Amino acid sequence: MLNKPEIQQNRITIPSDPALIREVDEFVESRLRERNLADTLIADIAICATEIVNNGINHGNKQDLNKTVTLELKLDPEQVVIVVTDQGISFDPRRVEDPVDPRNLLREVGRGIFIVKHLMDTVEIGRAEGGGTVVTLTKKIA
Amino acid sequence: MKLNSREQNGVIVLEPKGKIMGGPDATVLKEAIREHVNQNAKNVVIDLKEVDWMNSTGLGIMISCLKTVREAGGEMKLSNVTDKIKSLLTITKLITVFDAYNSTDEAVASIGKQ
Repeated sequence: MLNKPEIQQNRITIPSDPALIREVDEFVESRLRERNLADTLIADIAICATEIVNNGINHGNKQDLNKTVTLELKLDPEQVVIVVTDQGISFDPRRVEDPVDPRNLLREVGRGIFIVKHLMDTVEIGRAEGGGTVVTLTKKIA
Repeated sequence: MKLNSREQNGVIVLEPKGKIMGGPDATVLKEAIREHVNQNAKNVVIDLKEVDWMNSTGLGIMISCLKTVREAGGEMKLSNVTDKIKSLLTITKLITVFDAYNSTDEAVASIGKQ
């Protein structure tokens, strides 16, 4: 069982502990700062990375500490690609209710994917080998 | 996220600092609000000047705080909302749910006037 974050170059793997979301944010921001990206762009990408990893921890892996969430960052000259893989139940975004429907505005959850779709250029949700969900985000930086 | 708490003209002003993204943040703000409401301090301003950004978990925490205060018969306002958070409130239409002011003084002064 992994009991702390494991970092290998542009990849971080964490056990499904919600408190570790900070480590993911610090990892993503530090890698992006090395590229001298604008603060607002770094914030957008970090917000989305934490959204998807939070989903993996809470909805995919159900906070099972025996399961991990892995985030891989690919920094191309023109775009940033983030791939997040969990080991839980596959996520179906069609099951999420519209968060901007007036009936849902006071709900405390259900906005993550909606925000990510607004801030990123592309969002792809697929099934990981052996179960789990793979979410791939891209954001143009040039 | 760190949290400072003070009182201004009978209104509790909470000043979170950092990023509100989940994990322990979820309980810190909610518990602070509950404690104040339990002590009959029902009117709250959350000053977001020192909050770099928040994600959907942070927005959910804000909604939870708003509900707690309203259920107690109080008011909750936001102040010094940064451009990044303002854009998130706009995207999610939560700008229609929260009363946001440019300064904490304005937010405090607005309480009891609606």
